[in-house]
Amino acid sequence: MEALELYAVDDRADVYTEELKLNLGPQHPSTHGVLRVELRLDGEIITAARCDIGYLHRCAEKIGENVSYLQFTPYTDRMDYLSSMNNNLAWSLTVEKLLGVEAPPRAQWLRVIMAELNRIASHLIAFGTYGIDMGAATPFFYAFRERESIMALLERPSGARMLYNYIRPGGVAHDIDERWLPDVLAFCDEFEKRWAEYNTLLTTNKIFIERTKNIGVIPRQMALDYGLTGPVLRGSGVKWDLRRDVPYLKPYDEIEFDIPVGEGTHGTLGDCWDRYWVRMLEMMESIRIIRQAAVRVPTGDFVEKAMLKMYKSPLKPAAGEAYMRCENPRGELGFYVVSAGGASPIRCRARGPSFCNLSVLDALLPGCMIADGVAIIGSLDIVLGEVDR
Amino acid sequence: METLIRFFSDLFHLSPDGVLPLTLAYSVCIGSLLGFITVYAMFAIWMERKVAAHIQIRYGPMEVGGWHGWAQSIADAVKLLFKEDLIPDGANKFMFWIAPAVVFCGVFSGFIAIPFALGVQIVDIHLGLFFIVCIASVEVVGVIMAGWASNSKYSLFGAVREAAQVVSYEVPAAVALLVPILIVGSFRLGDFNAWQEEHGWLVFHNPFVIVAALIYFIASLAGCKRAPFDLPEAESELVSGFHTEYSGMRFSFFFLEEYASMFVAAALVATLFLGGWTLPFVNVSAWPVPFGIVILLAKIFAVIFLQMLLRWTLPRLRIDQVMAMGYKYLLPWGMLCVVGTALFETMGWRWLPL
Repeated sequence: MEALELYAVDDRADVYTEELKLNLGPQHPSTHGVLRVELRLDGEIITAARCDIGYLHRCAEKIGENVSYLQFTPYTDRMDYLSSMNNNLAWSLTVEKLLGVEAPPRAQWLRVIMAELNRIASHLIAFGTYGIDMGAATPFFYAFRERESIMALLERPSGARMLYNYIRPGGVAHDIDERWLPDVLAFCDEFEKRWAEYNTLLTTNKIFIERTKNIGVIPRQMALDYGLTGPVLRGSGVKWDLRRDVPYLKPYDEIEFDIPVGEGTHGTLGDCWDRYWVRMLEMMESIRIIRQAAVRVPTGDFVEKAMLKMYKSPLKPAAGEAYMRCENPRGELGFYVVSAGGASPIRCRARGPSFCNLSVLDALLPGCMIADGVAIIGSLDIVLGEVDR
Repeated sequence: METLIRFFSDLFHLSPDGVLPLTLAYSVCIGSLLGFITVYAMFAIWMERKVAAHIQIRYGPMEVGGWHGWAQSIADAVKLLFKEDLIPDGANKFMFWIAPAVVFCGVFSGFIAIPFALGVQIVDIHLGLFFIVCIASVEVVGVIMAGWASNSKYSLFGAVREAAQVVSYEVPAAVALLVPILIVGSFRLGDFNAWQEEHGWLVFHNPFVIVAALIYFIASLAGCKRAPFDLPEAESELVSGFHTEYSGMRFSFFFLEEYASMFVAAALVATLFLGGWTLPFVNVSAWPVPFGIVILLAKIFAVIFLQMLLRWTLPRLRIDQVMAMGYKYLLPWGMLCVVGTALFETMGWRWLPL
């Protein structure tokens, strides 16, 4: 036993027990990347937890200060690599705000469709990997089937399958082909059937409900205190969605959609099941948005003509600063840019949803079992590429 | 067995009570059993991958060997044999070395009491059922050795979970097995086949036997560490549990053990509840022996297929839920089945017009 790193906690008890320190990660199947969680365990019960991040740090913000505004767009792809379109969108909106330009209507509507398609793809990964965390490997493959169709759809205008670099300051990079919108609508019809399949396979499974209800409860006030956003916040019953509350794209004002929030269906409000279910419902809301948007895409320019001229020479916004935030699949992604009038910003800061949502983990884990810890990490749905940036 | 001893004693003109014919007969039996388990495990692993793949809208192995990748398991086994033999630093070398053998021995010994057909049984033990249930728990000792000797916390967790789980689930399993024993009045596995040949499958004998069969099936899933009870090797929590540090040949022994114990559990379900090598309405004992073997294997593989379906459909339980399930649900229901069956038997009730 001496080879194991053990800590004596109470040697006066009748049965001599010791606290066990366990490293969950950075190489571990269920930490969704290179997250390391240092657990202190009393048997199967977690007594203390500490997150250790930074294994995937790539200095994205510092790079932003050394490249031009347009060159930084591909770097945003690689932050939250599961929702590249949304990252592009947030960055483009920030730069547009700094420049004082606005994308033409066609680009705005296309951006909505792209962002929502990517939101579905991202939530599909969350759904699939959550199944794996729970020991059910099969939902993952079902989720990947639909994600594959989304990637095929997004590949047609952007030319890339995962890291699109498609939404750019001033509009979008390329126009869509004429078959694209009907294909998107066909996908929506198909997806609704598949979504029902997921629910029979995982959502309504008794074991799955037993594993997730009353686990990792984040009360409403705690969610607000920790600055959580996205499905994690809405899972706690807070109806806050930037698409509705601070519409950053005009179409979101004109489209009808609901904001699903957790209702404590099977247990306490704000448990893992609520967060999971909010994501599932959001996929259907995204389908609703896409359906409405796809029939209303206007004709016209897909990129601002004035911007196109600026593309030829380095973009040099006047000195000033801008902050824009978008509702990413994982929460609010905000970019803060300070320009001194040069070709690259002097400060480029990202407020990442995964990073902020992860902050609550240390507070949630104590008192849980190891298996619950895995369920909680999965329900926060973090992407380490964006936590570490 | 007796046939083999007589064959060898006749061959070498020795007394059938001597040591040499006995040794030779046992060697032949054990050798052929080892061969059978290896071939079966390879087939079962291929089958598992195919079942999993088709549930998960994939094809699974398709290339090796031509037809639907039938040789994939052979290729994997050869690869495992040739892998470097790694023993981690700080591991207890002897325990690490012996653990896979202990694990495998427990399950392997269970095979010798299974009646594959009329007279096809290595040792016809009078307490055959008792023997299989008991010898299967030797496996736990090996798993704890593996988990402890690996000097890895994940392995240790897996081993402790395994110990807690398997020991708890032996109780409901054994209680559920009391039900057929009550009806047949014997521990000898051959008697179950003979009884069911005469009276029809036990599972339909009275309503409590159906429940007992389900309880035994669920408890045997936990005993085999199959999903939804695969906590000892829960890959999303414990990497791969007690065999995290194992690789190559030793790892393949744990793998072999898992599939072998699935076979033993399925064989017990088939023999005790589903008629063994008998079929309803026909007299299989009058047919040539291979028919019996084929019938039994078909039933066993049907049960194994069910185990695989469950594994690839259900999420995993948590350890406290596993314990609660065993002690709060399976055990009381098992007791109820025993009492109910005893009542049925003493009163001589029949619920089906058979």
